[in-house]
Amino acid sequence: MNNEKIIEQLKTMLEPTQINTNSEDLYDASADRYKKYAKARNVLDVPAPLAIVYPYTPEQVRDLLVFCNTNLINVIPRAGKTATEGGLENWKEQTLVIDALHLDSIINIDTYNMQATVQAGVPLQVLEDALRKEGFTTGHSPQSKPVAKLGGLVATRSIGQFSTLYGAIEDMVVGLECVFPDGHISKIKNVPRRSGGPDIRHIAIGNEGTLCYITEVTVKMFKIYPENNKFYGYLIKDVDTGIKILREVMANGFRPSVARTYSEEDAAQHFYHFHKNKCVLLFMAEGPKGIVKATGEAIEQAVEKFKDGIIEQVDSKHIENWFNNLNWSQQDIDDEFEGMKEHDSHSGFTTEISADWSTITKIYYNVMKRVKEEYPRFHDLTMLGGHSSHSYINGTNMYFVYNYDIHCAPEDEMRVYHHPMQRIIVEETLRLGGSMCHHHGIGKFRNEWTKQEHGSAYYMLEKLKEAFDPNGIMNFGTIFPQEEGKKYQ
Amino acid sequence: MNIICLVKFVPDITGFGYDYEASSMVRNHTRMVLNPDDVCALSFAFKVKERHPDSQIQVVSMGPTTVVPHMHDLLRIPVDKGTLISDPLFAGSDTYATSEVLGSYLKTQSFDCILSGSRSLDGATSQVPPQIAEILSLDHMLDISEIDVEKISPTEAVFSVEGERETTTWSMQLPGVLSLGRSSTCKLPYPSYADLQRDVSDKLTILTNKELGLDPSHVGLEGSLTKVVNTYDANSRRRAKTVVETNEEGIEFVFSYLKDRGFV
Ligand SMILES: Cc1cc2nc3c(=O)[nH]c(=O)nc-3n(C[C@H](O)[C@H](O)[C@H](O)COP(=O)(O)OP(=O)(O)OC[C@H]3O[C@@H](n4cnc5c(N)ncnc54)[C@H](O)[C@@H]3O)c2cc1C
Repeated sequence: MNNEKIIEQLKTMLEPTQINTNSEDLYDASADRYKKYAKARNVLDVPAPLAIVYPYTPEQVRDLLVFCNTNLINVIPRAGKTATEGGLENWKEQTLVIDALHLDSIINIDTYNMQATVQAGVPLQVLEDALRKEGFTTGHSPQSKPVAKLGGLVATRSIGQFSTLYGAIEDMVVGLECVFPDGHISKIKNVPRRSGGPDIRHIAIGNEGTLCYITEVTVKMFKIYPENNKFYGYLIKDVDTGIKILREVMANGFRPSVARTYSEEDAAQHFYHFHKNKCVLLFMAEGPKGIVKATGEAIEQAVEKFKDGIIEQVDSKHIENWFNNLNWSQQDIDDEFEGMKEHDSHSGFTTEISADWSTITKIYYNVMKRVKEEYPRFHDLTMLGGHSSHSYINGTNMYFVYNYDIHCAPEDEMRVYHHPMQRIIVEETLRLGGSMCHHHGIGKFRNEWTKQEHGSAYYMLEKLKEAFDPNGIMNFGTIFPQEEGKKYQ
Repeated sequence: MNIICLVKFVPDITGFGYDYEASSMVRNHTRMVLNPDDVCALSFAFKVKERHPDSQIQVVSMGPTTVVPHMHDLLRIPVDKGTLISDPLFAGSDTYATSEVLGSYLKTQSFDCILSGSRSLDGATSQVPPQIAEILSLDHMLDISEIDVEKISPTEAVFSVEGERETTTWSMQLPGVLSLGRSSTCKLPYPSYADLQRDVSDKLTILTNKELGLDPSHVGLEGSLTKVVNTYDANSRRRAKTVVETNEEGIEFVFSYLKDRGFV
């Protein structure tokens, strides 16, 4: 079917206001934040989608998916547009972006059963504000909270800053509704638990728009006690000390909402007012008074146990203030984009990985060593460091952060700077048995390692794709490697 | 035109901290960048080359061999020829000894014009370019804000110098030494993706004193007429800290602070 015909057909299915073919919006829709520098410089090398469509109901999503499936048109599901790994980048000449803009209702806030049901296009901040009015929280607080929407947050297996207490999105979703390319609408009911075979929520959670379109989500709610919050901060000798203290607190059975260790370099850019060129360890304890007290004591005991690595305690006000200003608004995102039009530099690029306690620092130090020895643009790096910000009973994550000056054409930035850096991080992580993607998803630029990430279990992932998206119309190139897409990588 | 650009790679001070207690700069994130004024000089050389494609640009730098990757980057833009003057004997040279070393090499070269920055980020004395002009018996001008690319020829350059009150326009007979001031609008061309991988080592000559043959007592610390007694970060003065809230009052405070200093 040719492009005109596709648009004509869409007009028979939707109102004119639900179909956007504005060229600027299509250019914007052709890539996400992965290629934001090239996008800002107007040199994107990928095709623009044919249209962005805004369905009002799950049934309209169904009709659109069936239409695309029948005519082999690529579909990119879209929510808050904060994707960082190329999940929203388009690699096909004929693509429809299905945007959750009008799937924006909060369906139910059930304070007795402690669960809230929303459509996929509800911004997390909107739900959080509604819950706060009633004294509750979703417990989910990614830095992109003001902008990201529930559909995207579930589709990427996102994680929030208070995850060590509340868990990540997969711990919060109790049920959901999703639509498959053949038009089938599945609703997974909201129950506290069940043993009805494999947990099918996980087919939708983290699918990154490659298997189904999520239209509705039910998440848990938690009581909030902001008046009890306690903050702890320390300057420490090295990353090792920080990781050991995080482990001590977790292994002893405590769950601070925030538990983080920063390398000197990363600490210097976050905590300019107190870092003194040292590593930083910080915690936040929240919840009912007794829990906060017990958690605080456990933190202090762990710090005492490793006191040889502690340089000094930091005023807890500094930590509290820092947390209160951490999230990114749409304005911050827009300002960064504008800045990229002028400045030949990139700040805050990241690759996030995870591993067990005994492996995480090995990965960290190996990466630092390899980057220094092998990275061809080392002399352009203005910062390289990392932090651990999400801990579990058996391990933690490492968020590598790097800034660099750009001395190449804007369209080459990713393959000259970020990708070679990411390659070193991913290779070291996979070699030592960690996961190459802790919370941003695989997107389109880590797909060359998807098979290695899953090993023999890739079989299961591949079968899901074959079963639910046999025509391969869902988000071509995301998660699953594609030969045809390599030219854009 | 046959242009020589004198460039220096300097520590990137944006990565420095300042330790107030020890009154010293914390250089643990030190990396080298092309001196910003020199970016303007080189960027002008490329403008000339754009107009007159047969122009030749040679970049000459004196420094440690750790700057070789940076020199290679310039050769990939592409600068036609690179010369790095590097010898442990030259370490510790003051501006006088540095000018002697650079001058001895430049005497062996033919050129229409030498371009340089006006001052370096790490020293900011502005002494090297005029001393080199003196050694070569050429005219020199400092703090040039703009050279007229349409009027430059192998025998003459027309350029502006921005003073505190007015901008003056000058012309100078070439060959001569022209030193440009920093401007945020100066940009160097990008190397292409293919060029980034290209081996350019054959375009870079590394010269030691073996080739230059200077008297060792005239270079390095020994040959220096001046000694550095103390270094400080010109921007790092301890100031009283004022913390404001994000309310009307706070916004007003920050706004008038910036306004008083001419930032808005
Ligand atoms: C400043 C900033 C801070 C960030 N901080 C964090 C953080 O702290 N933690 C974290 O986990 N992530 C973070 N991220 C990454 C990003 O916010 C998350 O990946 C988020 O989950 C994406 O949600 P979104 O609504 O913006 O989705 P989008 O960007 O619109 O889409 C993301 C992916 O999900 C798919 N998708 C979107 N909607 C649907 C749907 N309805 N059905 C099926 N698939 C869909 C898309 O196709 C795409 O592959 C940050 C990003 C930014 C820009």
